[in-house]
Amino acid sequence: MKGSLYALIYAAVLGSVCALLLTAAANVTAPYRQANAEAEEILNILLVLDVNLPPDTSAKQLKELFNNNIREKLQNDVESYVRFQPDAKEKILAVAFRFSGSGLWGPIKGFLALEPDMKTIRGITFYEQVETPTLGGEIATKWFRDQFAGKSIVDGSGNVGIIISSKGDPAPNKVDGISGATMTCDKVQMMLNKLIEKISKKE
Amino acid sequence: MANDKQPACMTCSPKGLCGGKGLLTLKEGAWANNPLAIQVLGICSALAVTSRLENSLVMGGALIFVCVGSNLLVSLLRKCTPHRIRMIAEVGIIATFVIIFDQFLKAFYWDMSKQLGPYVGLIITNCIVMGRAEAFALQNPPILSIIDGIANGLGYAAVLAIIGFSRELLGAGEIFGYKVLSGEWYTPNQLMILAPGAFFAFGIAIGIFNWIRGPEPEEKKP
Repeated sequence: MKGSLYALIYAAVLGSVCALLLTAAANVTAPYRQANAEAEEILNILLVLDVNLPPDTSAKQLKELFNNNIREKLQNDVESYVRFQPDAKEKILAVAFRFSGSGLWGPIKGFLALEPDMKTIRGITFYEQVETPTLGGEIATKWFRDQFAGKSIVDGSGNVGIIISSKGDPAPNKVDGISGATMTCDKVQMMLNKLIEKISKKE
Repeated sequence: MANDKQPACMTCSPKGLCGGKGLLTLKEGAWANNPLAIQVLGICSALAVTSRLENSLVMGGALIFVCVGSNLLVSLLRKCTPHRIRMIAEVGIIATFVIIFDQFLKAFYWDMSKQLGPYVGLIITNCIVMGRAEAFALQNPPILSIIDGIANGLGYAAVLAIIGFSRELLGAGEIFGYKVLSGEWYTPNQLMILAPGAFFAFGIAIGIFNWIRGPEPEEKKP
């Protein structure tokens, strides 16, 4: 009994010390991590909307480019980022929407950009994902993302939604999946379709 | 965790590092009993993050940091740790160091942290770290335990670097992201970047390592 009590106290003390260390580390790094995450988000919005980025752009320049080119807007209850032509403020060049959902190992977050017709996909990025590298992690690679450009969010008979799959015939709303990462692809397809459904709802 | 091979030199006269045991520990961990090439432990991360040399080096650094930190703490606490909960205590200590390193990467080396993804966090379950804490740090004084952590970390990092080097060179024709093998006469072999390439590179590395080290001294028959 005496031994159990000692073990209990030992565990409590060790646990508290570890927790203290972790809290300290988290607090010290928090501002840096936050700034990194924010810059990453802005970078992805700019990238998905095809804003021309000079190489090695600093976080400050990113913010400036963002402020000059992009307006935030709430559209059908979805946060959207509208890219205007800088000189003719009313002309919309593209619109990006934020999407998120759970992947296989953790949350997946990204942006989907549409052309002004709101039907054709301009591009897609994933700014947060922890899928298996070389399998599900491939969603963040160029070849996978590039497939989306020019695809439609509506199929031939007017149904909204896109398909990510290696099976079936080519269609205007279908992109190739990743073999070995079916779960990730299904989850990405689900979160994209949830967003697309919301966007396409008639006002 | 089979580590029945205790450092042979237990009765040496006190000289050098920790009475001569320091160098022996260093050699044991980094070479003679290399965690990857001889014991074949913790190969999940070794296979997953070695598609580029830079990633391999950071991962090696992470393991050295965690191994040294956890070995030191486990060794300092070895006399007051209740035997029954020693393993959970070790895991707690290891997890603390791993998360500190992960947060540090996220704060100051964002791109690297993105590339390594979940594998930094998975060091918590790396059998090398746990194995060293359990098999060495629990029985040895702090300084010797630090040396053991460095040795095993180095042994891991070195093998990782070799695999990373060959995979990046053959798979992408690059070293540290710089083109080395020109595209005119060398077509990068994608296979080396993909998972099977890791197995090939790792297998060949183990083979060469054992070839250089020579045959295992024959065990006495019972």
